[in-house]
Amino acid sequence: MARMLTFNIFRFNPQDEGSKPKMQTFKIEETDSMTLFIALHKIREEQDPSLMFDFCCRAGICGACGMIINGRPELACHTKTKDLPKVTTLMPLPVFKLVGDLSVDTGTWFRQMYQNSESWIHTNKEFDPNAPEERMSNETANAIYDLDRCIECGCCVASCGTARMRPEFMAPAGLMRVARFMVDPRDQRDSEDFYEIIGSDEGVFGCMGLLACEDTCPKDLPLQDQLGYLRKKMGITAIKHLIPGRKG
Amino acid sequence: MSSKHLRTGHVRSFSRMDGYLDFFQMLSGIGLILFMWSHMFFVATVLLSPRLFNFVAWLFEATYMANVAGVIIAMILISHFILAARKMPFKRNEFGEITKHALLINHKDTWKWLIQVVSGMIILVMGLAHVWVVLSAEPMNIGGKELIISATSSASRVANGWLLYYMVLLLVVEVHIGIGFYRLGVKWGYISRETRPFWKRIELAVTASFIVLGVAVLYTLLKYSEVSGI
Repeated sequence: MARMLTFNIFRFNPQDEGSKPKMQTFKIEETDSMTLFIALHKIREEQDPSLMFDFCCRAGICGACGMIINGRPELACHTKTKDLPKVTTLMPLPVFKLVGDLSVDTGTWFRQMYQNSESWIHTNKEFDPNAPEERMSNETANAIYDLDRCIECGCCVASCGTARMRPEFMAPAGLMRVARFMVDPRDQRDSEDFYEIIGSDEGVFGCMGLLACEDTCPKDLPLQDQLGYLRKKMGITAIKHLIPGRKG
Repeated sequence: MSSKHLRTGHVRSFSRMDGYLDFFQMLSGIGLILFMWSHMFFVATVLLSPRLFNFVAWLFEATYMANVAGVIIAMILISHFILAARKMPFKRNEFGEITKHALLINHKDTWKWLIQVVSGMIILVMGLAHVWVVLSAEPMNIGGKELIISATSSASRVANGWLLYYMVLLLVVEVHIGIGFYRLGVKWGYISRETRPFWKRIELAVTASFIVLGVAVLYTLLKYSEVSGI
């Protein structure tokens, strides 16, 4: 017999002056291979058309359906209801601006992050559209790809205690973005250049090692290892200057 | 600051200070962890015999190590607190946000950080008071030697109202150290994704072992006070 699932969902529309934040309960019957994404659609179609949540690809690629599912930032489309208990609590991701109910604006945050992390290839080489593309080793290409898999769902940002307390913190997604350009041989920046971007308490030294990002990333990006690597690299870049007799 | 134009704050100036501060936070943390582990082994000599404890105390006092190290450790403790305070949620809204966050996401390592913050504040006050009380005590004549630190003076303190104080201090110090060394490894990339479960077990084992050792020391001192009629 199919389970009756209960969803306690955060409801609030900041656009509507009369809207008061509250938790609302919905009940639906579980079906085969149901995901949370399907369940939310069913609730919206059958019970409350005003329920707001984001979705797009349904396949864990677009990163739009990030939300707090029973205290864990996750993608709704990735979450199978058979893995959920009978009662599930859904909250919008913190840190980001609330659009309404479970929908948040991650776009504005990520756009600002691109600018702060200067996430583009910095090179003085003149671009020649007729020249063949420079080759890179398969190993390097894979290393870049591994860090480039971020779908910008915002789960790591929403799970980060530092990002929650201090809006100026670059957060795991921002630091990972810098790590991606560090391994790219086309980028001519050196450690000293990267230090100017992330060598501060707003950057990698602000990370307190809580590892909620590592534990929640739906794409399983190597956040812990990369954050540790960045701190070590930037720490060495700084303390090199404390060695007597060293210029610069 | 020599450049007057920087004083307005409109010109972004580059500084490596945050890197230095973070590095010294780590260094002072490692120093304090090593000190606390050695401290525990030294006081644990009382488990073998109070005379051995007194001999170790005499060794440190005769070489002036106890007084010099006491002052240095107190200074490192204060410095470590100031360096770590850069991250602490002192503002009302910061504390509110991190507490709400910990309650929302239900994540163990996030709670551990809050425990570290609270235990750090307790250690600052109780640890410094402990250093002061121990090093400013009147010397006692133990076996013909004038000793500030001795099994007799320690047992006397434990038996006369300080037991609860030391139980609390032991607990907060060991919990803070356990979480601290795990977090140091994580933050500086020495504990990887692969080795994290192993180090978590080590953290738990080390914390529990030192608490058990500390309780055994306090119990022995309490018994010693009864036997020697302090």
